[in-house]
Amino acid sequence: MDRQILLEKILDVFKEEFEIIDPDPDNNLTEKYEFDSIDAIVLLEYIEKLLGSELTQEEKKQSMECRTINNIIDYIENIQKNRN
Amino acid sequence: MGRRVVITAESAITPVGHGKKDILNSLLNGISGIKSINRPDDVLAKHIHSGVYGIVDYEIPYDFSRKFRKTMGPVSYYACQTAKEVIEQAGLANDFLSSGRLGVAFGSIQGSPSVQRNIFKAFFDPDDKGFSNINAADYLKSMMHTTAVNISRMFGITGRVLSSCTACTTAAQSIGFGYEAIKYGMQDAMICGAADEYDLTTVAVFDNLLACSTSYNDTPYLTPRPFDLNRDGLVVGEGAGAVLLEEYGSAKKRGANILAEVTGFSCTNNGGDLILPNSDGVKRTIKAGLENAQINPEDVDLISAHATATKAGDVIEAQAIFSEYGDNPYVTGLKSYVGHTMSACGVIELIFSLYMMQEKVIIPTLNLEEIDERCNMIKHSTKLIEKSVNTVSIQNFAFGGVNTCLFIKNRS
Repeated sequence: MDRQILLEKILDVFKEEFEIIDPDPDNNLTEKYEFDSIDAIVLLEYIEKLLGSELTQEEKKQSMECRTINNIIDYIENIQKNRN
Repeated sequence: MGRRVVITAESAITPVGHGKKDILNSLLNGISGIKSINRPDDVLAKHIHSGVYGIVDYEIPYDFSRKFRKTMGPVSYYACQTAKEVIEQAGLANDFLSSGRLGVAFGSIQGSPSVQRNIFKAFFDPDDKGFSNINAADYLKSMMHTTAVNISRMFGITGRVLSSCTACTTAAQSIGFGYEAIKYGMQDAMICGAADEYDLTTVAVFDNLLACSTSYNDTPYLTPRPFDLNRDGLVVGEGAGAVLLEEYGSAKKRGANILAEVTGFSCTNNGGDLILPNSDGVKRTIKAGLENAQINPEDVDLISAHATATKAGDVIEAQAIFSEYGDNPYVTGLKSYVGHTMSACGVIELIFSLYMMQEKVIIPTLNLEEIDERCNMIKHSTKLIEKSVNTVSIQNFAFGGVNTCLFIKNRS
């Protein structure tokens, strides 16, 4: 999936699910938008839907390093790359 | 001897209205909040015999941001709304909320059953999606202390958290334990109350015990009928209530509007059967409450009886009241208007009692047309009476053999 399309899909999720509209892709989501651990778990459910398959425990643990929208896009791209 | 504790704000969401104006209109005009069950579920509705419920069927203007909504089940919406209204009504300063001197005592009978039901569905999912069907926040929405901690979180309250979970005495315990926390100096103020959401599980439980009203399914406003010869059981209801308790000196100093004083509280257990009403247990609780309030039976003007309209419970309660009070105080059964709002009944009945104090009236027991002779030894209120009400006792009893009495005195 193209990075721009991924970005648009993630921004849609942030708008619809988290009521965070057009966050700066490089801003710290926790500090700037009060994105917390509950939101992170919900986001993983969306990422699973996006990928069409469940994330492994190891992949979920890796997601805990994400701090920004760009981190999240990198994370998804990385999973796609490793799975291919 | 401890510090004096006063009530400085109240809020209730009930089947007969939200807020004093609507509620009082229903109480003064004999309007029942009991309706036919109009939100059947896919599990229990077709099996239960009772077709009536105390329903909150009006819109509530919630204004909670997603940050808070994400950990709230329906029960916490009720709880947080009443807490919000209490904080606004009392005019508490923001720095006091997070001073550590304000606590929360709030409960429910089982958290959020509608959220729990979704969790259980995952166990029986034919597609075997397992726990991925369980939302990350489901536990926070449904746990037993969900109301208390969602209130604490929403308003940044950092003091004590008490979350009683004793069925129908939950709210009375919240208020009683909150009162004790202030009286003995552990806190300066407490937001106390309880909430329960619409759910048919409780109806099924009482239905199986043959304790639910079933004869008035086509005329729901005629039931429940506390102390009436033709009563046929309780009616489950939903709702919430919150009161702010404050230490008298600090409330007076900040110019708070003092609605009443909490003068006593007692809580006992029957020490035996977990379901059957127990006359000795009720008498012991009344005696202990009067002693705690340091008053005599003749000082009490009005008793808000638990009066669920079950065959046995009302008789036991009437006889216990007569044993301890004689026929001096008026007795009213306020569940006749809203049904049995489970965990919240104690605080809702206390708030209705505050209204009676403020308006100088005694609200009659609705549907009490022919008093059961076994309940006829006490002074029932069968019609609206204009009268100053100075001291009220609110009685509640719960499964598990738990009994409570709260005493409030008019200080307005």
